[in-house]
Amino acid sequence: MEVPVMTQHNEVNRIRIHYAKGDSLRFIGHLDLQRLWERTLRRSALPLRYTQGYHPRARLNLASALPLGFISDEELLDFWMDLPYPIEQIEARLKAAVPPGLTIQSVRNIDLGEDALQVQMKASEYEVTFYDRQAPEVLSRKVDQLLSQDEIQHTRRKKTYDLRPLILELEAITHSSGECGLLMRLLAEPGATGRPDDVLDELGYPNTDYLVRRTRLILAESFGVSSVESQSPGLRS
Amino acid sequence: MPLSPKNNLQQQVERLLPTVVKPGRYVGGELNQTVKPWDSVQTHVALVFPDIYDLGQSNLGLAILYDILNQRNDVAAERAFAPWIDMEAALRAAGIPLFSLENKRPLGDFDIVGVSLPYETIYTNFLNILDLSGIPLYSVDRTVEHPLVIAGGQAVYNPEPVAPFVDAFAIGEGENVILEIVDAHQAWTGSNGSRQDLLVALASIPGVYVPALVTVGYHPDGTIQSVVPGHPAVKLPVDKRLLAEFPPPLSRFLVPNIEVVQERVSLEIMRGCTRGCRFCHAGMVNRPIRERSVPEILVALEAGLDQTGYEEISLLSLSSSDHSQIIPLIEGLQTLLTERQVNISLPSLRIESFSDELMDVLQKLSPGGGFTLAPEAGTERLRNIINKPISDAELMATVRSVFQHGWTSLKLYFMIGHPQETLADVEAIAELCKAILQEGRRLVGGRARVHAGISTFIPKPHTPFQWAAFDHPDLIDTKIITLKDALRGSKIKMTWNDPQGSQLEAWMARGDRRLAQVIHQAWHNGARFDAWGDQFKIEPWQEAFSTCGLDPDFYGSRSRGLDEILPWDHINAGVRKTFLLEDYRWSLEGKVRPDCREHCYACGILSSFNELRLAAPGGGWKCP
Repeated sequence: MEVPVMTQHNEVNRIRIHYAKGDSLRFIGHLDLQRLWERTLRRSALPLRYTQGYHPRARLNLASALPLGFISDEELLDFWMDLPYPIEQIEARLKAAVPPGLTIQSVRNIDLGEDALQVQMKASEYEVTFYDRQAPEVLSRKVDQLLSQDEIQHTRRKKTYDLRPLILELEAITHSSGECGLLMRLLAEPGATGRPDDVLDELGYPNTDYLVRRTRLILAESFGVSSVESQSPGLRS
Repeated sequence: MPLSPKNNLQQQVERLLPTVVKPGRYVGGELNQTVKPWDSVQTHVALVFPDIYDLGQSNLGLAILYDILNQRNDVAAERAFAPWIDMEAALRAAGIPLFSLENKRPLGDFDIVGVSLPYETIYTNFLNILDLSGIPLYSVDRTVEHPLVIAGGQAVYNPEPVAPFVDAFAIGEGENVILEIVDAHQAWTGSNGSRQDLLVALASIPGVYVPALVTVGYHPDGTIQSVVPGHPAVKLPVDKRLLAEFPPPLSRFLVPNIEVVQERVSLEIMRGCTRGCRFCHAGMVNRPIRERSVPEILVALEAGLDQTGYEEISLLSLSSSDHSQIIPLIEGLQTLLTERQVNISLPSLRIESFSDELMDVLQKLSPGGGFTLAPEAGTERLRNIINKPISDAELMATVRSVFQHGWTSLKLYFMIGHPQETLADVEAIAELCKAILQEGRRLVGGRARVHAGISTFIPKPHTPFQWAAFDHPDLIDTKIITLKDALRGSKIKMTWNDPQGSQLEAWMARGDRRLAQVIHQAWHNGARFDAWGDQFKIEPWQEAFSTCGLDPDFYGSRSRGLDEILPWDHINAGVRKTFLLEDYRWSLEGKVRPDCREHCYACGILSSFNELRLAAPGGGWKCP
């Protein structure tokens, strides 16, 4: 094992991982993903910060729960370490420790005082592919119909809520393969998070018909990521 | 990120998965999984645990076989588990066969399907898996086009109830014999031989039992008249396989992506047990005792943690506190655990082998939490009969020590239904628990908790109690009610097993080959997941017995004649029938047989396996 380069002592460090969740982890839910990450961090043998108690857990924080059945190009995770460590070595160790299905895109140091990732979340973007070929004009018509409504009362697990304000953007697209699909940008603030499967349900597609890929997480402006408004000239709501 | 190419079955399954609970059970893709290109190997082995992934993935035996087989370049071992009820329905509705998690291939595509049968209440799931895979249920109906179906595990020491469904059983420890079976299959594949040729070749391997080549005859009363080899290659009895020395422990564990029952680095520190509890199947069939050394254990645990990132380790054995180096081992673990921020579980500690020193190190290792002891019976008289001779004074001394060392919660395991048990013995369980709680309150005050876990004694083959009757369920009910009444208002928590589930286990454990039709019929009547309290129903079984014209009491609440040919007599687990009979007679006299590490009582292991022992003088074999 390499000797860690210690530039400061007893300093807690916060590291952010930008990663993709691939097809082989599609049916692994949020809680399981958290445990998957904790074990990945343990295997990396980095000087992790642990919680106290009989069952110490590595401290980590995922930006936004990805629903079961989805894949993603852009997920964010923060974790904490008791000792500073060269960022390239952290990245190398993490890359060696990840299980199949997780791909590390980048790793960087984060200011300790930054808000929790969940608090910074503003919106998520998704891309939908259908297993069976859809007629573009049918899909477009369904989208237009849905967006023309002022409110969309949707029931999920016996709870009814208005889905409409959570849809920031929704459009029918043609994938490079020639198949048509959907793009959507949904609000993802604490307590107001839109679910793509609910939108698809309103469009009349059951969850056996499609694959959803999250393509982007949008965080609040103050942390170097553009805000929803300035990024979204095409917003329809 | 490009998606990996998927076969047709995979694409179909992908569309079913959003409709079932815990779809992560059916996708594989875990860390340390081994996937070989399908056409790159000669022999494909499916390793099947006939219960759901969440249970089966933690099975250490299958993990070991998976590792051993996949180390061979010419073999691919893949996993399959029982689909849960919803997934079974989805697969059947879509006409999709059960498939392996690695290459997503139907089980029917494999050369060998190896099934783990660790307990008897898994038999209907086994049939269901064959059916879902399109593999004929009966060995006799399979052709060279079908996989070879083999089975192993603790339940197959009496293979007879499932004999017609299995082509070959591997009796005993599987680490070596599995490779010999693969070799025999490869030689047969190259020979263009018939299926019968394969069975004969397998029957020639020590430890392999091919039931199709053995004929069983019955007396008019249903007891067995004869067990006769049907081919010159068959030698009866079939001796179990045994490893003279422990192989290096597994450290490359597959790490499940979804939550499963035991997520930890598991390591056997010892195999076998010398205590000789007369009810204990594992203690009899897993003889002799073999130990792993402390350095080997520590190195393997560290490697296991490196490979998995698990937060917990578990040391497995039938009686951990009997390991000759238990204190150095636990002390060695302390450093490892602190550095790594991991927890430990150390089951199976014996009441009488506790020293204050052991308590001290255990308390440091695992502060807080509960402590578990297994007196098994409420009176000294009955503990002598079952050969777990712990005096009340010894038990109370251990209990005091537990509370004095800082534990406040104590779980006590008891069995009801032991041979010669009276209602007074049952009432004594309650009295004992109350006395223990009182002692706990005296030492740690109101925080003291006592939990009584009550299971039902099931006579098992190859044990001194193999001739004993299983209590009639009505009597078990009476005993449970007696206990509940006696514990009412005592603040002692009591849990117990469903007597009907125990009854099924009792029928199967000592069943003969005729039970196969009952299992088949029960499965046909809808029996599945019989080991699951919320799924098990007795009616399909009662109807099945009735349809087949067999009397369940013949298998359950009947004492076997001492001169009877027992259905498993032609399987040699190492301990001789004459020894078991002597021990049974001792039990009737209340005579205790001491731990055999100090003195050999000639159980049969040494005479059966002496050559093996001499060939491996350095092993941790602990017979005197």
